[in-house]
Amino acid sequence: MSTRVLICDDSKLARNQMARVLPTDWDVEVEYAENGQEALELLSASAFDILFLDLNMPVKDGYETLEALQSFSQSPAVIVVSGDVQPKAIERVKDMGAVAFHKKPASGEELRTLLISLDLFSADINNAQPAVEIVTAAEQFTLNECLQEISNIAMGRAASVLAEMLNVFIKLPVPTVNILEVGELQMALDYSVKAESCSAVSQGFVGSGIAFEALLIFSDSSFPDMAKLLGVTENITRELETELLMDVSSILVGPFMTAIGKQLNIDFSHSHPVLLGQHVTIADLINVKKATWQRTLAVEIVYEVENYQISCDLMLLFTEDSVPTLENLLSFLVEDE
Amino acid sequence: MSNEAEGLADLHWMFDMLHHIDVGLVVLNEKYEVQLWNSFMENHSGVSSSIAKQQSLLSIFPNLDTGWLRQKMDNVFGLKTPIYISWEQRPNLFPFKSYRPITGIANKMYQNVAIRPISSPNGAIKHLCLVVYDVTDIATNKIALSAANDKLKRLTSALSK
Repeated sequence: MSTRVLICDDSKLARNQMARVLPTDWDVEVEYAENGQEALELLSASAFDILFLDLNMPVKDGYETLEALQSFSQSPAVIVVSGDVQPKAIERVKDMGAVAFHKKPASGEELRTLLISLDLFSADINNAQPAVEIVTAAEQFTLNECLQEISNIAMGRAASVLAEMLNVFIKLPVPTVNILEVGELQMALDYSVKAESCSAVSQGFVGSGIAFEALLIFSDSSFPDMAKLLGVTENITRELETELLMDVSSILVGPFMTAIGKQLNIDFSHSHPVLLGQHVTIADLINVKKATWQRTLAVEIVYEVENYQISCDLMLLFTEDSVPTLENLLSFLVEDE
Repeated sequence: MSNEAEGLADLHWMFDMLHHIDVGLVVLNEKYEVQLWNSFMENHSGVSSSIAKQQSLLSIFPNLDTGWLRQKMDNVFGLKTPIYISWEQRPNLFPFKSYRPITGIANKMYQNVAIRPISSPNGAIKHLCLVVYDVTDIATNKIALSAANDKLKRLTSALSK
């Protein structure tokens, strides 16, 4: 009888990537779910042997799914596959009943070793054929889906560095990807920053025909907790705020870009981070009237630190002329695996 | 033979370029001891490369905020990610004079500093590199601009009263 596998991830690219790296000589029947809710519905309708579960998903995320599974009489072996590699995330999912954690994206060899070590798979020479129908056409994935998934992985890496340094747990959202006009960008920022006054740092990146800015915006109400988190006891002066901004942006943007660069295989050149403004409004940051650009491809990630009043908004703003190059690169990424 | 000579010539101009580029370059080992000190650093600090190379960076400049800088460098080693220091947070990290003391308005050199991890062939981070940029012109312009803006604001508010 074949092994029943359920792959639960909100990203089509990630679901497909996961299915591709399953051992080819494994007799499996694979089904897919787009979020925890869908997975739970499938799991209560029929029994599965293994569930590959992502953590950051809309509707019902990985943690909520694990929690709901605890009341199931017959639940599958859950392997969490996530870009969120914070030690606390790994610990948390194991406490909640996951048998293993694997960082995203998983390679065929790593997964094979993991499955064998968990006694979930043993090589069957008689059945050496592709286990699943593989979607090869790159056109099946939109630019947004690809960009969302690579940002998702990069965001997890960055959070893990920050979490290690500060010993906290960073809450990770699903990154959003949109093409925005000048005015829309300001509205989008207004909506997510939700603060009257904010401070921002921007760093420019360029490489292989792709150019973008990484814009990091903090609401000014984050500073007291940021100081607390970094162990600063002095009074918060303007200089100290600059210090906190530069430190957090170095730590957050650096590893993120390294992870993006690795996935795209580009060694980006970058500028020194520039302090765009302190205690200003969003309208001061993005000057609609003076803007020389029309549209930007924007990836937005809102980081929050558990138990602290800190929220910051990371925006990757790609220039319009980077989009075709990016599309081309990402299509190779999908085909290559 | 000619290949070897060519390789040496390549190395020579590469080194000449690093040495004379108008950016400060310092390479440190895990004990913060100087491994490379280019001529920008020599000329602005007055400490020659041969003297700098025997010492820890923290002892070359006695007035440096050592605890603070050490923490930054340890973070670069530990987190394997570059850390940036802007002139807005530490205007003059190293006590260098400005290039144009006569016609310029600043006495001291404003600096942006990037501290980057350098990975050895096996991937371990045993060294880091400090890159010191002279941003005196940018800084003085920005300071003058915001002073002018403040003055303008004061004047308009006085007028409207």
